[in-house]
This record gives sequence, structure tokens and C-alpha cells, in this order.
Amino acid sequence: MSQADSHKPESRSVAEQVSFFLALAILLIIVSCVGYLWVSDRTQSPSILEISTHSAEQRRASYYVPFTVTNLGGTTATTVQVIAELRVDNEIVEWGEQTIDFLSRDEEAEGAFVFVRNPTDGELIVRVASYSEP
Amino acid sequence: MASSKRRKKQRHGSSLRGELNDLVRGLCGAFLFGIPLLYTMEVWWIGSSVSPPQLAGVLLTTLVGTYLLSRTGGFRKSQVTTEREAVEDAIEALALGIVCALTMLVIFRQITFETRLSETIGQIVFESVPFSFGVALANQFLRNANSSEKSDSSSANQSELSKMDRLFPEDNLNETISDIGATLLGALIVAFSIAPTDEVTVLVAAIDGPWLMLIIFVSLLLSYSIVFQANFTRQEQRRLQSGLFQKPISETVFSYLLSLAAAALMLSFFGKIDITASFDLAFEQILILGLPATVGGAAGRLAV
Repeated sequence: MSQADSHKPESRSVAEQVSFFLALAILLIIVSCVGYLWVSDRTQSPSILEISTHSAEQRRASYYVPFTVTNLGGTTATTVQVIAELRVDNEIVEWGEQTIDFLSRDEEAEGAFVFVRNPTDGELIVRVASYSEP
Repeated sequence: MASSKRRKKQRHGSSLRGELNDLVRGLCGAFLFGIPLLYTMEVWWIGSSVSPPQLAGVLLTTLVGTYLLSRTGGFRKSQVTTEREAVEDAIEALALGIVCALTMLVIFRQITFETRLSETIGQIVFESVPFSFGVALANQFLRNANSSEKSDSSSANQSELSKMDRLFPEDNLNETISDIGATLLGALIVAFSIAPTDEVTVLVAAIDGPWLMLIIFVSLLLSYSIVFQANFTRQEQRRLQSGLFQKPISETVFSYLLSLAAAALMLSFFGKIDITASFDLAFEQILILGLPATVGGAAGRLAV
């Protein structure tokens, strides 16, 4: 590189200048978004994992209970463990477990537990048992 | 000084077509370098969970990296002659990397209208790192056609005979077999490490009809661009070759089908698909792994 050449803005063709300014605009948009997130991200709350279940649906010989887990907190949760227990007469007759790899802020994950017995015949408990910090 | 002036003249003279060729070369370099990390779920997740100061740090580091690479390699036909040009090329490399990352993450359905802004920006910034470095390294991957021509000028007479032999081969079959081998080898090198991973299965679940069509289109476009548009070495020679499949469009389509076959073999090697598997599922996996296989295959045909 030559020092003498370093102050010649006209060294670029129009096409090169256009693509440079487009590139600069793209970079500025990304930098602005990061700046906005930086300013708005200062009040981060820990993960709050809420779970909701839907009514059981019979498909052939099994009962499917769909569920949705939502991270209402401000930080990401990983390895979210969801467990379901079906109790009849206070005794666990069926149970299931699922792990959701990754749940960022406001993100939802859906799934379903499958039971042989009809969940409406007993008490169904679906809850989040644990999660890890990324 | 004289050579510096000549290089400057080349840059002055670069037309819109020249600029487009430079950008295409940068994009091809980006995909050659960035594809493996694109098929890594952890990068999507890391991008979704990091804090804004970390993102700013990643952007700055990438910019410094692309600046250093632009001084020696870069993606333009002519090398940079001033610091300012190196900085401008670095910014363009980063922007091209961002565009590549955004496009592919949208096609892979990792960024949708439902994705939050922080997650979107995080994924783009992290995935743009290998793409940006790939742009800035484009000239290093496969030597530029012109520079290789210049370096060979001293032995022009000697090479003339062999060049003519290649342009008008006695046995077209040899050219074709050589290209098939190079495509399979390139596909194997790039896609073999991706084939056994869960990412292919995860992407099958995420990507449906129209987006699969886009993957096919992107695969064909990249294959054509790398071999016939990016002005990498031997491009002109390839245009003149007369093997069975060595017209640009037919070669692109044929090598794509070959890359899909290579992807299918790799998936079956790792037990991801077999005869008993659902045809839809197997076909989608092949198309998704077909993208890195095609990029590798295209690079392989240029390298051999």
C-alpha cells in the first residue's frame, strides 16, 4: 500500500461507491439495532417459564395432551424440563418427561404428552421441573 | 509505483459488470467458508442468547478481521492500494456476510416474522462472522483467473499445447469422469461433516414446500456462480471445454443432481435414511444436505 495514495476519494468507480454506501447502510442498520437492544436490555429479568395445557384428544388407542411452554422472563432458558403426571386416587399411574433445548425471551415451544389412560379420569399435572442458564 | 498506478487504473475502469462480478465472487467465498457454521444449531442459539455488548464486540472483531484479510486477500479482482480501500472493502465484506446470513436464516426458517428483534439480530451477527471472513478470503480460496494467467505468462508457449489439449480433448469422457470425481470429492469434503448431525433433521422439520424450492434455487445459483460467474481460476477454460456435461447450464444441473446423490449416500452411510424411511423425509433431508454438497462440488470442479 502506498501512503501517497491514501487521500484520493475519487479512486472508486460509481458502481463501487454505490455498493459501498449500500454496505454502509446495512451495517448502520445492524449497529443501530444492537444499540437499541443495548439500551432497552438493561432491565433483564430472570427466566419465567409458564406452561399451559389443552384438552386431551383421543387418537386411536391413545390420548394426546398438547402443551405450550412460554418464557415470559427476560433471559434465555436452556434444557427446559417439562414433566407430566397422571394421578388416579392419589397414585401416579402414568408419567412423561420432555426436554426443550432452548427457549429465549418470549419464545414459545409446543409439544404433547401421550397417555394410554384417559387423563380426564384422574388428575393431570403438567409443570416445568427445571432449566439451565445458557 | 508504476504497478500501483496500473492497479488503480484497473479499479477506475471497473464497470458495473466488474463490480457485480466482484460481489458475486465475495458471495461465493462467503458460502464456501460459511456453510459449515450455517448448519450448526448452537450458533443459532448462541446468537439468540448473547447480550448486546457481546454482539457489538463480535461485530467489531469481525470488522477488524475482514479489514486485515482485505489487505492481503479480499474479494475484488484488483488488490487494494490504499488503507481507505481496505476499510471500505472490509465494510462491504461485513455487509455481504450479513446479507448472506439473513438470507439463509430466513430460508432455513430460523428467522420469521414471529422472531423477536434481539434473537434476529443475534443470529444474524453470529452467522455473519464466517460469511464475512469468507467474503474477505474469496481470492485466497481459488486463485483469481487473471492473476494465474499473469503468473503463467512466462511459460505460455509450453502451456499452449496442454491448453489446447484441454479445450479440445480427444476423449470427452475423461473430462466428464474427471468432473464427476471432482464434484463428488468436493461434496464429500464439505457435506460429510454435516450429514450425521441433527441439524439436517431439525431443518427438515422447519422447512416446508416453497422454502425447499428456494433451497434448490439457491443451490443451483451458487453452483453456477462459483464455477462460471465468480471469475475464479479456470472459469474461461471451463466455458470452452467440450465434455459431455460441460456447458454451463447442463453442467450446473448435472452436478447438482450428482451432489444430491452424494448427499443421499452420505445420509445413508450415517443411517439417517434407509429404504424403510419415509420418502418425503428422506427427500427433504437430501435437498437440505444437497446445498453444502453442491457448494463443495462446485469448488471441487474448480480446484481439480
